[in-house]
Parts: sequence; structure tokens; C-alpha cells
Amino acid sequence: MHGRLKVRTSEEEKYRKDKERQEKLKIFQHAMRKIISKRKQGEKDVEQLELTGKVLANNPDIYTLWNIRREIIEHLRKLQSDEELIKLCDSELSLTEYCLKINPKSYCAWHQREWILKTRADPDWKKELELCNTYLKLDERNFHTWDYRRFVVSHYRPPLQEEFKYTTEKLHDNFSNYSAWHYRSKMLLELYPDLDGGRPIQDSHHKHELKMVVNAVFTDPDDTSAWFYQRWLLGAVKSITHLVVFTLTPVRTTIAFNCHVDKPYLNACIQLYINNELVKGEFVSTGNCEYDDLWIYKHGYPIDDNLHAIRIDHTISNTETETLYCEKYMPCFYVGKNKINFQHNYAEPVLKELKEQLISLRQLQELEPDSKWTVLTTTFFLWCINSSEHHEEILKNLTTLKRIDSQRAGYYSDLITKWSMEKLLPNCYEQKCLDYKLDCNYKITSLPHLQYFSFCVNVDLSNQDLTSNCLPSLIKLQHCKVLNLSNNKLTSIIGLPELNLEELIITGNVLNIEEVEMYQLEHFSIMIFF
Amino acid sequence: MYDRLDAIDVEGVVRFVASMQQEDGSFFGDQWGEVDTRFTFCAVMTLSLLHRLEAINVNKAVDFVLSCMNFDGGFGSKPGSESHAGLIYCCVGTLSICRRMDALKGDELAWWLCERQLPSGGLNGRPEKLPDLCYSWWVMSSLTMLNRIHWVDKETLEQFILACQDCETGGFSDRPGDVSDPFHTLFGLAGLSLLGNTAIKRVNPTYCLPQETIDRLKLEPQILL
Repeated sequence: MHGRLKVRTSEEEKYRKDKERQEKLKIFQHAMRKIISKRKQGEKDVEQLELTGKVLANNPDIYTLWNIRREIIEHLRKLQSDEELIKLCDSELSLTEYCLKINPKSYCAWHQREWILKTRADPDWKKELELCNTYLKLDERNFHTWDYRRFVVSHYRPPLQEEFKYTTEKLHDNFSNYSAWHYRSKMLLELYPDLDGGRPIQDSHHKHELKMVVNAVFTDPDDTSAWFYQRWLLGAVKSITHLVVFTLTPVRTTIAFNCHVDKPYLNACIQLYINNELVKGEFVSTGNCEYDDLWIYKHGYPIDDNLHAIRIDHTISNTETETLYCEKYMPCFYVGKNKINFQHNYAEPVLKELKEQLISLRQLQELEPDSKWTVLTTTFFLWCINSSEHHEEILKNLTTLKRIDSQRAGYYSDLITKWSMEKLLPNCYEQKCLDYKLDCNYKITSLPHLQYFSFCVNVDLSNQDLTSNCLPSLIKLQHCKVLNLSNNKLTSIIGLPELNLEELIITGNVLNIEEVEMYQLEHFSIMIFF
Repeated sequence: MYDRLDAIDVEGVVRFVASMQQEDGSFFGDQWGEVDTRFTFCAVMTLSLLHRLEAINVNKAVDFVLSCMNFDGGFGSKPGSESHAGLIYCCVGTLSICRRMDALKGDELAWWLCERQLPSGGLNGRPEKLPDLCYSWWVMSSLTMLNRIHWVDKETLEQFILACQDCETGGFSDRPGDVSDPFHTLFGLAGLSLLGNTAIKRVNPTYCLPQETIDRLKLEPQILL
């Protein structure tokens, strides 16, 4: 039951209500008995339509009754004249309309209407679209009506520009109409994709939408709808699959990517050469998944200390290939790293628009330093425009957000973590080193982008705020020998994946000793400090 | 839950569920052709409990769910439908069972979900809507599968859930002061379990069943890393 207030009633009132309910129940049960018995007899007639119609008019959500009506209508279709059929379908539409007035969110009444229109010979789609307009005036957020509108549009096929214009009108009526923003996002991708540039939206429209949304959020900053649309626009950039790091040792060969890829992709696009010889093998996901961002390459090529010309080719598209060349980092240990970059890449006019909007956002933030949405949006703009240049300001803002929007402090902490990692990684990739020690001013709370560190042998994650939820993602540390998790917020080590560790340091966490001793028994080759 | 799967006609169930799958991977609810991601989740969940997922085309079922993904990373009831926390649970649950959590936009979706929390601590199901106790389940289970349950404030949410309990009947309602019912009582209790309340048996976020049942059936729904 939704939205039914519990009210205290007197005994007398209660008695009267109970009696009323009993009466209703009696009529209902009588009708249902008759309907079921008629169905058992196979009586698909007009009387049955009347009986079910009466019950549905009071209780539109009885699926069974709509099903019975469909059986009858299908049966009558074989018997009646065209004229009679039109009348039958029209009266069915009237019944659904009546039922939808009783319950505008009745799944089965909406479905019955769709079914009739799909199966009748002469659907009037124009009229249906007008009905949607009327209903959306009564409740602009009823997702059933919006779904029905999409159903009608898919048959009526008006120019999509008309529908796009409709969302503009609805939004100008009320910017808080999230359903309209949603529909608009679908239209935008359909109408104005950037086919040549490979971006989701054409530059001029991308820019236009950014302007429209900023207008909306300044009209009513406390309404959240437009902020979600804006966040989507900020993220609507081209994404390309890249190699990240490749590691070759006698124990295993791993290949990390910036996103998840599957085996058919790998087989088609990845080739490994050692001593200029193509090495055949098989890809195995580290997370035991169909799509993964870190893959083990199983091959029979003997790995010794004298390998040369190790390279991996990645075919990105018909015209673009990237190649990683490996270097020897220590005896029998070869690593090839890519140039990495987390910066979003916008078209010039869009970037210009973002920069202009940033100026007004900053002014607004000065006026209202504790307005959550202003601070959050400014922060995302800074990150999108130039994350590296604005790093300090971004972290400062996120710290402010943890205070002014404390319900979502966990989210902001994870953002600090992720963006600090992104700042750290490009530098880290320039050093020829197999150690990974976190060196940022904030304690990290999660382990994003861990596949980028898959080549590291010594991993120091000590003195952070990591919880046991993070442990399963350590599966990415496929070459790690020494793992330091001391002084974190671990409460259990059950989620720790199987790695070829030599040393595990977990001092300074509140752990169950019995659990650790058990772990030690099962992993006697690992030196454990706890 | 009662360990009595032997009591049902497994072949019959599998045959019916599989017959509801359509060419595009979607599922009908019955012969009359209503399509909804709720039906996909019911189908996938039913077959996985019976260890018979191979009876359907899982890849196509996943592709259909992904065709329902929206600009905010959420999901609706069919392709083109607006995101709604209840349907997000169904779609994320399907991907969890089919072990395709990688296909989600984890950060975008989890942000949208944590923004469902209102100052009262309660959660709504769509932007600019009222809080409702059942979203404590739809939102929190999804966030748990996304490994980001710490993005909402557990303390105020727990207070909201407890305020929805009717002190006379013990049941829970959608909002404080409303009439309680079994639907909201289940989701109130299951929500408290996800928040770490140890007085309640651990509930599995994908199946909304006791964890011990899931363990006994040796099911391993995926959690995002």
C-alpha cells in the first residue's frame, strides 16, 4: 500500500466500514465466481465481457480478467462483422481509459490499450498521441504515460524533431521535469550524433544543450533534475580502448586495459611478439569474467633473461594501431607501459563554452560558498576542463562537499581517491620502478584503476582508510610479492584473493585473530605480519 | 528457503520460462506479450535458483537489459523508459546473476542512486519524488551489488526505516504514519540487514533471500570490484 495514511477510527465507525467492506467483498466474490465458472465452460461471450468489465472498473489491476477479455476478443474477431469489431475495440479503449482514471499507473490497463491498438485494423495513432499530451498535462512524471507515448510514436512515426520540440516545451513549462530531460537525452542521441567525429553528440548541439541546462539550473538551483542532465553532457565524450601495461615474467604474462574488453576482441586486436616471433596463446580473465580490464595470456614461450624485441600490437581501428615495447625491469621481468591520460577530450567549441560557464559558476560559488550543487558542479567543470591544472582546487572543493553534504561523504571521499590516483598515475608511469607506494595528501578509501598497477612487485597501501570491501579488487595485483595493508580499516581478510604473495603485512587493523590464523594455515608459504 | 525445490515440476517451470524469451532477448510476462525488465529478472532469477540458466540465451538477455540503460546510468522497464530505482534493482540483479557487472557505468549509476537519499534519511525512487521505505531495498541492494553502499548515510536511513514501523502491529509502511503491509515489512527488514543490523539474518542483495540459502545453493552472484 502506498500513501495510505493510518487513521484512528471510533468503534462505531470501524463497524460501519467493516460492514461496507463485507458488502463489497460479497459482490466481488459473486462476480468472480461467475466469471471463473463461465470460463471453465468455455463461454466466450458478450455477457462475460460485461461481467469482467464491471469488476475491472473497480479494480483495474486484475491481470486474469484482462487475459480473459483478450481470449473473448480474439474469439469474437472470427465471428463478428468489421463494423461490430470496430465498436468492440472502441468500447475496449473506453474501458481502459476509464480504468486509467481510477489508477493511472495500472500496468495491465495500459498494456490492454497497447494490445488493442496493435491488433485492431484501424488504429488512430494521432488521437492516441493527443491523449498522451492530455495525460502528461495531468501528471508530467507518470512513466507509464511516457512509455505509452514512446509506443505510439514508434507506430505513428511523427518527425522526431517534433518530439524533441515537445520536450523543449515541457521543460520550459517546468525545468524540474526529469522525465522530459530523460526523453530529450534519447532524442538528442538519435537526432544529432556526431558520426564523423565519433563523439556521441554533434558539437553545436552539445553546446546548445549545455547552454539550455545552465539556464535551467540558474532558474531553480535547488531542483536536481537538470543537474543530472548536465553531468551526462559533461561525460559525453569519445571513449577509446587503450592498452595500459603489459608484464612478462616466467610465472605469468598479463595485459591491462583502460576499460573492459572480451576475448573475441582480444583475439582479433592483440598480438604479442617476442624476438620478432608471433607468440600464440590463450587469454584468461583475472576476475573470471567475460569482460575484464586485466587478462592473463597463457602461452608456451620460455621466458629467460635474454629476450629482446618484445612488443605488443593493439589494433584500435582500421586506421589506428598502438604498440607497446617492453623493457627489462629486473632479471626475467619485462614491462611495457603506455602513455596514459585521464583528461576528457572535448571539441573546441564545447570546451570554450565550458570555460565560459566556469567563470559564472565560480562567481556563484563566491556568493554562496555552501551551496552543494554549485560547489559540486564547479568541481566537475574544473575536472573536465583540466583536471591536472585544477587538482588542488578540486580536492579543496570535495573536502567542502564532505562537510556541506555529509550524507554523501563516502562518495566524495571515493572521488578524492579516484582523482588523486589519476593525478599520480601518469608520473608513476614515467619511472622505471616496480614499487607502488601511495604518495598523496589524502587517505584513500577505495582502489580504483588498480589494473594500472598490475606490474608492481612491492605494493605499499599502508596508512590509508581502506575497508574489507576493497579486498577482492586486489586480484589486479597479479605480480605482487609484498603487499602492505597495515594501518587501514580492515575488519576481515576473507575477501583477499589468491595471489602469489611472499609477504603480507596487515598490522594495525582490527582483525579477528582466529580468522588470520586460519588464513595462515591455508597459506603457509606467505609470511604474514599481523 | 525451505530447501524443497524437489517439490516443484522443474522441467515444467524451465520450459515455460524459456518459452517466454523473445528474439531480442527480452521476456514476456505471459502469452499476451507485455515486455518488462521485471520479467527478465524473474526469469533469470528463477532459472539460476534451479541451476538451469543454460535453458535461455543469457547473452541476449543481457543485451536486452543493456539496451534499457539510460543517460544517467540507470534502467527502466523497457528500451527508452526512464530510470527508476525498482527497475534498476531488477537490471543490476540480472547482470549480477549473469556475471556481467562490468557492463554497468558503476560510478554514474551509484551517484544517481546515492542522490536518492533525502534530508529525512529516506530514499526516493526517482528525482524529485517522495521517500518510500521500499526504496531502502531497491536502492541499497543495487548499491551493495555496486560495492558502494557507503555512498549513503546509514545512520539517518536506519532512523527513517525504524520510523516507518507501526508500534502497534510491528509491521512497516511506506512512510511514517501510513498503514503497514507485508511488502514494506519485507523491504524494511531486508534493508536493515544490508545496513549491517546483526539481529536480522544476512540477506543476499541480488536475490533478496537469506545468504545461507544462496550459499546452500552454491550460487555466486557477482559484486562489482
